[in-house]
Amino acid sequence: MIWWRRLRLLYQLAFLALLLWLLERLAAGDPRTLPYDLLHHGDPLTAAGLALAHHAVPTALGLSLAVVLLTLAGGRIFCGWICPLGTLQELVARWGTPRRLRERSGRNRWRPLYRTKYVLLALLAGWAVLGSLQTGLLDPLSLLARGLAAAVWPLLPVRGPVPGGWIAGALLAAVVLASVWTPRLFCRAFCPLGALLGLLARFSLFRIRRIDGRCTGCLLCVTDCQGADEPLGDHRVEECMVCLECIDRCGEHALSYGFSSAPSPLPAVPDLSRRRALGALAGGLVLGPVLRASGGGRTARSATAIRPPGSVPENEFLDRCVKCMLCQQACPTGAIQPALSGVGVEGFWTPVLDMRRGWCEYTCTRCGEVCPTGAIRLLTADEKIGRNDDPPVRIGTAFIDRGRCLPWAMATPCIVCEEMCPTDPKAIWLEEAVDHGRDGNAVRLQRPRIDPARCVGCGICENRCPAGEHAAIRVSTAGETRSAANRMLVGS
Amino acid sequence: MADRETGRDRRQVLLGLARTGLAAGGFGVLYHVLRERPRERSATPGIFDWRRTGGQRAGAIARGSDPAANVRRAVAALGGMERFAGRGETVLIKPNVGWDRVPEQAANTDPDVVAELVRLCLEAGAARVVVADFPCNDPRRSFTRSRIGPAARKAGATIVYPPSLGTRPADLPGVLAGLEVMELLPRADRVINVPVVKHHSLAKATLGMKNWFGVIGGGRPRLHQGIHRAIAELGAAFRPTLTVVDATRILVANGPQGGSLDDVRRVDAVAAGTDPVALDAWGASLLGLDHRRLGFIAEAEKLGLGLGDPSSLEELGTA
Repeated sequence: MIWWRRLRLLYQLAFLALLLWLLERLAAGDPRTLPYDLLHHGDPLTAAGLALAHHAVPTALGLSLAVVLLTLAGGRIFCGWICPLGTLQELVARWGTPRRLRERSGRNRWRPLYRTKYVLLALLAGWAVLGSLQTGLLDPLSLLARGLAAAVWPLLPVRGPVPGGWIAGALLAAVVLASVWTPRLFCRAFCPLGALLGLLARFSLFRIRRIDGRCTGCLLCVTDCQGADEPLGDHRVEECMVCLECIDRCGEHALSYGFSSAPSPLPAVPDLSRRRALGALAGGLVLGPVLRASGGGRTARSATAIRPPGSVPENEFLDRCVKCMLCQQACPTGAIQPALSGVGVEGFWTPVLDMRRGWCEYTCTRCGEVCPTGAIRLLTADEKIGRNDDPPVRIGTAFIDRGRCLPWAMATPCIVCEEMCPTDPKAIWLEEAVDHGRDGNAVRLQRPRIDPARCVGCGICENRCPAGEHAAIRVSTAGETRSAANRMLVGS
Repeated sequence: MADRETGRDRRQVLLGLARTGLAAGGFGVLYHVLRERPRERSATPGIFDWRRTGGQRAGAIARGSDPAANVRRAVAALGGMERFAGRGETVLIKPNVGWDRVPEQAANTDPDVVAELVRLCLEAGAARVVVADFPCNDPRRSFTRSRIGPAARKAGATIVYPPSLGTRPADLPGVLAGLEVMELLPRADRVINVPVVKHHSLAKATLGMKNWFGVIGGGRPRLHQGIHRAIAELGAAFRPTLTVVDATRILVANGPQGGSLDDVRRVDAVAAGTDPVALDAWGASLLGLDHRRLGFIAEAEKLGLGLGDPSSLEELGTA
């Protein structure tokens, strides 16, 4: 084994361990400000998606420029050495690896199916141009973090279950387990980030070179090839993940990785006819409006789609959110959950708050701290609760259901919502009243009333209301700070 | 006989299956241990009596600007911590860590009071001092921002809160029936209840007996439907070795979590004692309430839990 193979494995395991450790610390509520979104910030697909959809890229995503430069210099090193999802696939692929070299090489030859990722990239790009950022659905970092947050972390005792978590979990499991059949099937065939880096890798300075005279055409180079880029003939440099396994395998020393002074004439790559690429782009341009119109996420406002505090207005939110669910992982009360419905097709798996699972802790700003794209703004605690006479950041307003409320409907004392209300002065105030029960005896009651000018929509009242799962006080998005259209009070 | 496609013989395939089976089984066991931790299902008796007999005074009140010194003087006047925490015992300290608030907001027990009690218990020879509560806000934030977590840990206590602290069934009587309690209650030899004096819109005051809400698991909000009776029944079900009422700062309005410093008054006093009802009556008087007209104090007297008379406490004054 040549030293770089060990080195590559070391790099891969280190980045995988880094991601897992950061996510674990995030879920455990580590008070330190660790760079939880470090890997997500180095994602050129997110940066490109935001540039297309939002016409601006947050400075934090500048790290992705480093990945772009790395790719221009040496090819898809990110895929072969860094990407944790690629590492997981590679590890799992070992299970299915046949012992016979010939069968092994059969799994690592290029297939027409591997063009699909460029179609997907074009589709997502077309969609993004129209302002709907859906790269997160297939982005390897989002896909992995989401799957872990939804289906792996809930296995641990510290996190609660996630609604529909199995969907993200099944996607992750399918991606990883497909590698038993074909190594890195997802990377080779479906990964839009891999496709984007592949386009850049065509211009890479360093690449696999072949000394024609020495090659005997034995195909050994393909044995452990990660990218299915076939270094034997016309090397598909855009598919190469720089795993360098081919160099190790070649008995004739015909292959090397180095500076290519005379760049080989670009093959007709990406291995996709211009017609198909344009077709896919057009498909995205059509699919975008159709799904937006029929999915109805932007115009048909939802009362229950309560976005995390500091979220930007809905249109911009959908332009920015990559569905990585780091915010879900970060939320200390478990209120942030993926939306499976009620936010349109575009909003599928974007974060919303479910007040029966948690509530928005009054001075907590954790979700904004970890959002890699600025879909949730970073707030200070003072900004959030509106100290210094500024208005607080509202995520909605609580409404009392007088038909379910104990003191309003059933002449039974209860002040739990008022007790829980964290604002100062409390948004929930108590009105003294005398009611009578069935026996006709007078009961002195304190009935909760809401001062909508004070309510921030944190939902701890809904969370603690004793009136069963359908609480007698419920938060809806009305009055949320981020929306100019969703105002309730005059002058607010 | 090797398989034509993979080149593996039967032995290798069987070994592979065994390895996979072992890994899957290991995952199952790990999941069971971590997530479905075998919970104590049999109910513990629902009356927890940690009292010690003996002692002349119902309690003592110490005043001064140093909360830790107040704790020391008040406990010393009762005969010292040796009376309440024996050698080798496990002592549970139950402060009020209900809210994600800082000490200056007076929504939680003062951290110095808790830390001093931890030190006194350890000095008296206690083997282990545990500080625990079920907060209303996020437990980690509540323990950190109240500074009770760091202060008690520094003093030598073990801090436990959810999700690592769970509940277990208990045969609680009366209105408490069906609720679960903090799982470590049966394992504690002695318990010190350390409430803070606060306003409460329904009960008028939240003090020592009300502080037992914090050892009850889910479902406790419904106890508000008959709050005075519920508080007294809590006092009957949980009978601490010692009650220490923190009145370093008290919250006179917008309780029990407050927020505004305008609602906080500095009293600079700590009372310790063995009559929870007398101590609650004293705390109520600090809030300007007539303790004789407080429902939960009358109910508690009816249950024979103590005498709602603050004058039974010895006033030690300022040091």
